[in-house]
Amino acid sequence: MADEAPGMLDALMDFVVRYLPDDVRDLESELEDRLHKVPNQVNEFGFDPYGLSLEAARRMFLPTALMYRFYFRVEHRDIDRVPEGRVMLIANHAGQLPFDGAMLTMAMLLDADPPRICRSMGEYFLPRLPWLGTAMARGGAMVGTPENCVHMLDNEECVLAFPEGARGMNKPYTERYRLQRMGLGFMRLALETSTPIVPVAIVGSDDQQPGIANFEALGRRLGLPALPITLGFPLLGPLGMLPLPVKYHIYFGEPMVFAGDSADDDVTIQQNVDAVKETIEAMLARGVHERKGIFT
Amino acid sequence: MEKVLITGIAGGQGRLVAKRLIDRYEVCGVDRVDWAGRPEGVKVHVVDLTRKKFEDVIRTELPDHVIHMGFIRHFRSDEQTRYDVNVRGTRKLLDHCVHHGVRSLVVMSSSYVYGAFPENPYYMDEDSPLSASRSYPEIRDLVEVDALATAFLWRYPHIRTTVLRPVNVIGYYVHSMIGQYLRERRVPTVMGFDPMMQFIHEDDCATAIAIAVERQLQGVFNVTGPGEVPLHTAIRESGGIAIPVPEFLLRPALARLFDFGLFPYPPGALDYLKYPITVSGERFMDAANFQPDHSLRETLESVHI
Repeated sequence: MADEAPGMLDALMDFVVRYLPDDVRDLESELEDRLHKVPNQVNEFGFDPYGLSLEAARRMFLPTALMYRFYFRVEHRDIDRVPEGRVMLIANHAGQLPFDGAMLTMAMLLDADPPRICRSMGEYFLPRLPWLGTAMARGGAMVGTPENCVHMLDNEECVLAFPEGARGMNKPYTERYRLQRMGLGFMRLALETSTPIVPVAIVGSDDQQPGIANFEALGRRLGLPALPITLGFPLLGPLGMLPLPVKYHIYFGEPMVFAGDSADDDVTIQQNVDAVKETIEAMLARGVHERKGIFT
Repeated sequence: MEKVLITGIAGGQGRLVAKRLIDRYEVCGVDRVDWAGRPEGVKVHVVDLTRKKFEDVIRTELPDHVIHMGFIRHFRSDEQTRYDVNVRGTRKLLDHCVHHGVRSLVVMSSSYVYGAFPENPYYMDEDSPLSASRSYPEIRDLVEVDALATAFLWRYPHIRTTVLRPVNVIGYYVHSMIGQYLRERRVPTVMGFDPMMQFIHEDDCATAIAIAVERQLQGVFNVTGPGEVPLHTAIRESGGIAIPVPEFLLRPALARLFDFGLFPYPPGALDYLKYPITVSGERFMDAANFQPDHSLRETLESVHI
C-alpha cells in the first residue's frame, strides 16, 4: 500500500518490528491471533462495513499493547463478568488523553475470553482531524451518534463509552477520582436495545497527566473540546503529552440490566444513570484505597 | 403495452434503463440531445424540460409511467440553467403527471443529498435529513428536486411515486462524478482522509429502476450495491494511483481552478472525499426484493471496461 501516506508509516512500523526484541514480536503475533478470533464482517478487501481492518488494527494496536503490558502494566479484575453478545462498557474517564479507553480496549482484546474488539463511541470532532478519523475507523471506533451505537448493539458488539466525555477526561488534578456529570444518552440506548451495562472503574488514568488548568474557551476556538495545561504540556511540547508510567487497575462490575421506556423523562433515566455512576464510584474508591501508590 | 417515458433518455443511465424496459413496455423519452443508434421502437424527443413543447410531448405520448432522470449534474453550465432544468423542470414535470393521467413516477435522486459530514452516522436510513447544501451549496438544486418529489409523493397518493437515492453509480456508460474521478490514472485525495464509500454498478442501478417501475413501488428508497470500501481501496481496485495532497493546498488550488473553468467540481465536493455518506438500502431490498448482480470487485473494475 505504498500509494498512501499511512502506508509509509505501516512500512516503517514493519521495519521497526523486525528489529525488535522477541517479546515485542510475540506480542504482535498474539495480537494477530486474538484479532482473528473475534467474529467479524470483514469483506474480500479486508474492511468491515464500519471501516475496521484487522490488518491495520494489528499494526496500530502494537504500540498500545506494548503500553498495556510494559508501560502501564495493566492489571484487571473480574473481566469474565463481561457477558457475551451485546454489551455496553461504561467507564470513568480521565487523564487528558484517552489512554484509559485504549487500555480497556487492550484488556478486552488480549485478556478477555473470547476476545472482543471494543467499539468506542468517539467525539464528533475527531473525524475532522486528518489521520485520526481514519485510524479510529480502522481500529473499530466511530463517532458516538445514537444511530451508530444502536447499529453496533444490534450487531451484538461490545460498545465502549465514557458518558462523562471531555468533562471527565480534561478535569484538573484537584478533581481526580471524582466522577463528573454523566450524559443520559447511553442509558436510553441501553433501554432501547435491552443491552446489559458493565460498569468499569479504571484506576490510574487520573494520575497519568495531572491537569493544572483547562483553557476550554481557547480550545474551542481551535476546534478542540478542551485545552488542558498539565505539568508537562505545553511546557515540554509534544513530549509533554507523554503520560507518567502509572500503574493501571481496571475493575469490572457485575452486568446491570435495566428495564423501562427509553423515552422516559430525564428524572427517571437519571436514576438509572446514578445507579451506574454510584457503582463505578464505589469500585473506584475501593481501587484507590487498595493500591499502595500510583506507580504500583 | 403500457408506455414509459424517460427524461434524460440519452444519458448513460437512461439508455441502460430504456434497453432494460424495451421488451415489456413501449419506451419513449426526452432529452436535450438525440440518442444516435437507439434501439428500434424507442422514440426520442429532443426538447428542454422547461419548454412548453415538453408538455406537448406528454400530451401526445400519454405515458403510463414516467422515469425522471433528466438532470444537469455537471457544473459546466451556469447556475441559472442548472436551476431551471433541475428544479423548474421537475416542478413542471410533476404538474404534467397530474394533468395527463400518469399512473406512476420514478424520480432519480442520489445519496449525495444527505451530505458528507464528519458526524454522519453509518448506514443512514431514508428519514435522515438532506443536508448536502450545508457544505456543498452548488448541488442545492438536486436537494430541492428530491424534496419536491417527496412532497409530491404524499400529496398525490393515487400516482405511485418512488424516489430512488442510489449510492455512487459507476460503470462504463454512466458519466457520474465519482466514475470520472476513479477513471483518472492519478487521483488526488485529501491527505489523512479515507472514508468508506458504497458503490453500485450501472447495470444494477438500471435493474433497480426497472423494478421500481414494474412493482409500482411507492416511497423513498436508498439503493445500495454489493458493499463498501475505503476511498483509497476503491482507487486502487479501479486501477488508479492515489495522490494524497494536504487539504490546505488542495482546497484553494481546486477553488481557483474551478473558478477558471479548469476543474469540473466546486471545492465543496472535497468533503465527499473526506467524510462518509453511507446509507442503508434495507428498505428497498425488502420492498423490491432487490439484490445486485455485480460483485464489489466487478463494480469497481467496471469504470475501465
